[in-house]
Amino acid sequence: MEADGGELLRRIARRDADAFGQFYDRYARLVYPLILRILGEAAEAADVLQGVFWETWMHAASYDPARGSPEAWLVVRARARAIDQLRSIRRRGDMVGAAGREVTSSAGTGPGPDSAADRVTLRRALERLPEEQREVVELAYYRGLTQTEIAEQLKQPLGTVKTRIRLGLERLRQTLGAEVP
Amino acid sequence: MNHEPFELQVAAYALGALDAADLATFEAHLGQGCPRCEAALRDYGETLAALAREEPPARPPARVRDQLMQRLSATQRPPAPARRLGWALAAAAAVVVASGTTAALVAQRYQAQLDRVALEASTGRDRFAREQAALQERLAAYEGLVELIRAPGTRVVPLQGAAAGSEAMGRLVWHDRAGGHLIVAKLPPAPAGKTYELWTITGGKPSPAGVFQVDATGGAVHRVAPTEAPVDVFAVTLEPAGGVPAPTGPIVLASR
Repeated sequence: MEADGGELLRRIARRDADAFGQFYDRYARLVYPLILRILGEAAEAADVLQGVFWETWMHAASYDPARGSPEAWLVVRARARAIDQLRSIRRRGDMVGAAGREVTSSAGTGPGPDSAADRVTLRRALERLPEEQREVVELAYYRGLTQTEIAEQLKQPLGTVKTRIRLGLERLRQTLGAEVP
Repeated sequence: MNHEPFELQVAAYALGALDAADLATFEAHLGQGCPRCEAALRDYGETLAALAREEPPARPPARVRDQLMQRLSATQRPPAPARRLGWALAAAAAVVVASGTTAALVAQRYQAQLDRVALEASTGRDRFAREQAALQERLAAYEGLVELIRAPGTRVVPLQGAAAGSEAMGRLVWHDRAGGHLIVAKLPPAPAGKTYELWTITGGKPSPAGVFQVDATGGAVHRVAPTEAPVDVFAVTLEPAGGVPAPTGPIVLASR
């Protein structure tokens, strides 16, 4: 039987390279698409992916099963690191990266060729959110904006943004909680 | 204690969207131990992990795994701290020279470079030393070039490819007393056992002015010592490795 993620992390904390290889093989495919979505550019995403797993090797001992699954632990780190990288790209005014992100983000949201029925079942949980909730969650999650920045960008009152973020994430929790065994 | 404000903050915290002031308040609250917020964070963490599973699939580049496994085996070897620091400094210098971009960028890349250096230290110390020496040489050449361009009396002599259909070109930044730098582009790499040699021709008599090789892009910067008499023509020929005292090979570049 295969070791579960938590067991692998315990072995990685004891400097078990084989466990690290297994952990990578299992979870790189989970976090890479997210990192790529945030950065929009494969070379940047590959750097961040490597950084995230390097941190895993160095800091696996900090994983505490009481606070969540290995997936959640890794996704939080991957997302934070990708956002850090995104901010530093913005600081350097990297227009190439920005253009890439525009392409990526618009590619995922346009209506596809699927039938209406397929769209209902296949649409991602995010896309099932009411537009005003989806918008704020995406700006926070993929673009790394704070609530104040979102309010400025959308020209909405800060209180409205705060409420929408909470409603949006709460609805995602219910939707995804129902889908994941 | 009124828990309501934290109910609103916990989702934003999970999304990393709290502003600095709210973040400090919320983390102070968490620090006191709040089972409700901890449970909500755990739930939202799993929600975001589930959301990550819905991203369009993308295959991670295979080299990432290879590089990680290499780095990892490097850390499992006994470290050599003093030498490693030396290499780290060399790497930092290389970054400064190579990129010439802002200090912020250098700082941000620094950690990655350090990690790469640890790998280099275990797999290619010699190669790294050569690269560093080559970079320092190039830096010195560029600095000399800038000095030269500033000097009054410096002129730029164009050189053109001599063979039919040759795209090779060159510029000689030249000062009669200080000498100068030959800069070439689009010159094919010299065949094995051969080298390019520069000649200064005065009154029809060529004098050797050093040998050089081009990089992978066909470019080179070559320092040229000053001559005793004014130069009429500059020419580059293809010669046996090490160079020869008088030209024997075909002319590849020449000034008018």
